[in-house]
Amino acid sequence: MTELEREIGHDEYDPIGTLALIAVYSAILVVMWLFMYFVEFLGNDLTVVGVIG
Amino acid sequence: MNIHTYEKLWLAAAMVLIVGFIATITYGSVGVGVAMIDDSEATLDPNDLGEDERFAEPRVEHVGDNEYEAYVVARQFIFQPNPIEVPAGSTVTFYVTSADVIHSFSIVGTNANTMVIPGEVATMTVEIDEPGEYGILCNEYCGAGHHDMEGLLIVHPEDEFDLEGEE
Repeated sequence: MTELEREIGHDEYDPIGTLALIAVYSAILVVMWLFMYFVEFLGNDLTVVGVIG
Repeated sequence: MNIHTYEKLWLAAAMVLIVGFIATITYGSVGVGVAMIDDSEATLDPNDLGEDERFAEPRVEHVGDNEYEAYVVARQFIFQPNPIEVPAGSTVTFYVTSADVIHSFSIVGTNANTMVIPGEVATMTVEIDEPGEYGILCNEYCGAGHHDMEGLLIVHPEDEFDLEGEE
């Protein structure tokens, strides 16, 4: 068993690497979402149109 | 409950994504008018298409200002009529049914794509702006000649289009 070296409080814990990873994943998701729907799908005429119901 | 600041951030980001996806689909449906192909048309007897006024003679019909209706029969291993000819700058509604087995009616390279089920009529409305040619393919395996089952959609320039049987 190693000895406890330093105790930190809840908000002192700073997983900045995890935050950075999630930020990068989110950015990729947002770019794919906008590209796939607005460019690949809506730009791919002919598109089936009509009224709901 | 004590939630870490970073955790609040990525929870919020996940919520934004979910709300964003739903908003995008809503915009597509309400704003752009993207529709689903449904089974709202009445069923018919696939062995008796000759008795149906729409499908006895597969054709394109001029029904309004710039509105056309195409009555298409898919059968092993052809689409009728072929080619389907319409003018640019028009709204075309395809009524597609099958005389034998399940086919599909897919306008290649576009979002216009539907299953074609014997006994059912798939309706699909598209707006066609530019002249050009599109291939039509069957995307449901329908038998030995499936790979040869193709059709052609020709979009003529508006001023060069003349529907047969029309003045």
